Amino acid sequence: MKRNSKTLRTITALVIVAIVFVGFLTNLGIGTISAPGIWDISILCPLGALGTMLASKMMVPRAVVSLVIMVALIIVFARAFCGWMCPVPLVQKLRGVFTKPEKQAKAEKAKAAKQADDKATEAAANIVPLTEDEKAALATGCEKDSKGLSGCAGCAKKRGEAVDARHFVLGGALLSTFIFGFPVFCLVCPIGLTFATILLLVNLFAQGDVTWSLIVVPAILIAEVLLFKKWCHKLCPLSAFMSLIAKLNRTFKPTIDNTKCLETAQGKKCGACGRACDEGIDPRHPELSEAAWSECTKCRSCMDACPAHAISMPLIAKKGEPVSLKGNDE
Amino acid sequence: MDNTDNRTDLPEGRAGQTREAADTATAQAASGKQAKTGGMTRRTLCLGIGGAAVMLGLGGLKLANPQAIIRPPGGQDEDRLISACIRCEKCYEICPRDVIRPAHIEDGILNMRTPTFDFSENYCDWCTEENGGTPLCVSACPTRALELPAGATKENVIIGRAVINTDWCLAYKLIGCRFCYDTCPYEAIKLDDENRPVVLDNKCNGCGACESVCVSLQNGSISEGATSRAITIKPLDQVER
Repeated sequence: MKRNSKTLRTITALVIVAIVFVGFLTNLGIGTISAPGIWDISILCPLGALGTMLASKMMVPRAVVSLVIMVALIIVFARAFCGWMCPVPLVQKLRGVFTKPEKQAKAEKAKAAKQADDKATEAAANIVPLTEDEKAALATGCEKDSKGLSGCAGCAKKRGEAVDARHFVLGGALLSTFIFGFPVFCLVCPIGLTFATILLLVNLFAQGDVTWSLIVVPAILIAEVLLFKKWCHKLCPLSAFMSLIAKLNRTFKPTIDNTKCLETAQGKKCGACGRACDEGIDPRHPELSEAAWSECTKCRSCMDACPAHAISMPLIAKKGEPVSLKGNDE
Repeated sequence: MDNTDNRTDLPEGRAGQTREAADTATAQAASGKQAKTGGMTRRTLCLGIGGAAVMLGLGGLKLANPQAIIRPPGGQDEDRLISACIRCEKCYEICPRDVIRPAHIEDGILNMRTPTFDFSENYCDWCTEENGGTPLCVSACPTRALELPAGATKENVIIGRAVINTDWCLAYKLIGCRFCYDTCPYEAIKLDDENRPVVLDNKCNGCGACESVCVSLQNGSISEGATSRAITIKPLDQVER
């Protein structure tokens, strides 16, 4: 079986864009991701739901119901929306168009990877068992130990564990929404702007609707997600909202089968899963993670990267199985 | 090999090693090069405060004089619409006559992507044919940004008012055009002595039927310099003095 979740993720995001596109051309009311649904049934984006209620100071039943469902979905799937559905990563792919020709870059990358592989094979040929120190490090969790002392210092700065820039943006957006009385972030939300751009193009070609919006809307979008490369990690308030709720997530966690993992089963050095993670989570060595588990987008990169196919994403990890994954989830 | 996290299971010596390693790491982090504020790098803090400031600044757009535009049924309470609309384009999609369109930046920054009308092809009759008189946009709006007050009918909810530009109107060139007069569902247009249309303000509710049939733009050579049709629906604010 070919393991290429990256392509699959691109395809799912494209399919969603295609469905929205069909919505623009028909009168079914499929809606954009801000309020997907059909006819008069729709589920609101959680930020939109919060924003509309904060701004209008009214309880909107549909918004409350949407919020509850969304929170439940985030608890089950964590930030899977970011990995599988959000159109912003698609927009960010455009960056490749303006930079170095991709083929060339890819070839260079492949070359480097091959060299690294060769080295790895070489190293694997004369397996060096882990030293006692390394084994101890492998066994170190980041959780508070029996004496209540906090674990290693590395954890203190993990993205997603404490508030970061995204949470400031989220707080600022909600506060501004409440003070000024309109859903402020919706005005510049890159997800909304992506679909707005598509709609503007549809109307340009279908009705000859020429407007300055055709320049302004894509310009704001580009400024947000192409100039701020780390939009999703550093600024997106939706990502902040999801990571807050995803702290409760216990399902679909990448789980390592220790009988297969090269590090535990054979004592080899690997770390491929940690390097593959775009969010900076290291499933094997949580103490080395740059991000907390709540940042996991369930993108399956670690599963794809694992040379021993030792990582799975079970609905609920069996007791005793998650081993070193523990401790990084608090 | 069992490498579960339980450090207490480890022999005394190794546990000690681990603690030492952890302590070293703490010391290293504490003397780290990045200045930290409450567990956050200065850079992150600046970015966060900057982002929050931009959000508050955007909120200030509300203070700028809002531009009045015509709204679909239920959107006549401008404050309510602006406060509740999340710009999801649902009303635009559901409209069976495709007369709702997202407003452009020319209609005001704050109004951008909120619903307005485009009567170039059709007009709004509150989905009488399609949904028995209950506007689909109102029932589809997920945030109740479009909501009809109790007792609202298509006669008493005023979307806007038809305004005739007599410089561009063909009838005012005594050509005898009376498309708007013939189509008006509310008999809100009368013909004067010279068969020129005149809008009856107390009957017009701004449904857009007249605008949708106006042919003045198709006769560019006659109404030179026209940038829109001769009869258009304007928001009440712009019509009433």
